[in-house]
Amino acid sequence: MDKQKSLSDTALVELATKNPESFGILMERYQGPLFHYIRRIAQLSKEDTEDLLQEVFIKIYQKLNEYNDELKFSSWAYRIAHNHVIDYFRKTSARPRTNSLEDSEWEKLIHSSVHVEKDIADGDCAKKIKICIGNLPVHYREVLILRFIEEKEYEEIMDILKKPKGTVATLIKRGKEMLVKRLEEENINCF
Amino acid sequence: MKNLIQDTIEKIKEQRISPEPKWKYLVKKYFLWALFAAVLILAAISFSAAYDNANNLDWDLYRFIHQSRFLYILSILPYFWIILIAIFLIAAFFEIRKTETGYRYSWSRILLIIAGGIAVFGGFISLLGFGGKLNSKLVKEVPFYSQHMMVTKESQWMQPSRGFLAGTITYVSENKIGIKDLNSDDWNINIDDNTLVKPSVNISREEMIKIIGTKTDENNFKAKEIRPWTGKGERKGSNGQGNRSSRARGN
Repeated sequence: MDKQKSLSDTALVELATKNPESFGILMERYQGPLFHYIRRIAQLSKEDTEDLLQEVFIKIYQKLNEYNDELKFSSWAYRIAHNHVIDYFRKTSARPRTNSLEDSEWEKLIHSSVHVEKDIADGDCAKKIKICIGNLPVHYREVLILRFIEEKEYEEIMDILKKPKGTVATLIKRGKEMLVKRLEEENINCF
Repeated sequence: MKNLIQDTIEKIKEQRISPEPKWKYLVKKYFLWALFAAVLILAAISFSAAYDNANNLDWDLYRFIHQSRFLYILSILPYFWIILIAIFLIAAFFEIRKTETGYRYSWSRILLIIAGGIAVFGGFISLLGFGGKLNSKLVKEVPFYSQHMMVTKESQWMQPSRGFLAGTITYVSENKIGIKDLNSDDWNINIDDNTLVKPSVNISREEMIKIIGTKTDENNFKAKEIRPWTGKGERKGSNGQGNRSSRARGN
């Protein structure tokens, strides 16, 4: 099993189709990134996020034979997670309740959109900004999270969301504009 | 988090969850591509039929009915085939978008490539005469096609009240030609020295001709210009001028 730990994702996918234990190594590699990604876009409690993550892993396992090595495994796994979260929202008609980004994470988002002159971590202001981000439509919020928090390249975002590069760029631009507009509308002038 | 991995592996084993077989994905993948090919073939056939239809029409008749060129062209475009081509183009676009990596390309690039493919493939089957055969079959077997769905060569030239008539010559005399029109009605065509007879027209019995002129009464038509059934009647190196005395050969 230790030998397998040094194998590439593609080689592990091949092994995992025959042996679920090998799938464990893939899960080890991606449980952290996928957990944070799901938590950031779904904005659920730790327990609910873990339940969703387990469902995502089972889905990935069931779809292993569909994996095409033209894509990075991580992009493919993120795509399945993205689709699963969207399905989850559809089924439960749930809206994100709170913004579960860490302070350092949402600071990255704010920095990507507006010029920050002052420390934004002051209580009331920070809370309002979090609400603004949390209230963005999910497709804008998600693309901003992928770009500025997950720090994914445009090509990876394109593969995760299954959208052309131009559309991804437009979503990022509009998401940023929408965030600035919301901050202005809420009269949040913390900068 | 360690437990999550163990729990998941146990769940997979307990519930005997297994990866879905590869053939399922392959069937889906090849089905999508087969569907795309079928749509592309249908679009190419439509293109070929539209090209044949447009190629057979006379696009200069606006001059005789005092209409603008633009409006006349709009009135005779083969909309039925154009709409079909558009539907197939959109269907092919979505087929491509559904493929594994189809999302990577912009819509304009996909549409341009598909449109190019339709034009090349459609042009090729046009060269084989497929569009012509399809149009002829539809005109013969589906009356609704030429009457309501499309301006065909036949419908374009069976408008005596607008000054366009076509048929097969039944007799030729000094100042008259007899024709049986496309609906098998008989007409007397009056010709004089001012009648322009296009160079490649063969005015003799059993020849099909197109006539531009004026309907004078129920079965009489004064000819202003006579063209052969195929084409406008120009010959290479000819200025297109002629008159009935230099062209008519009485039988």
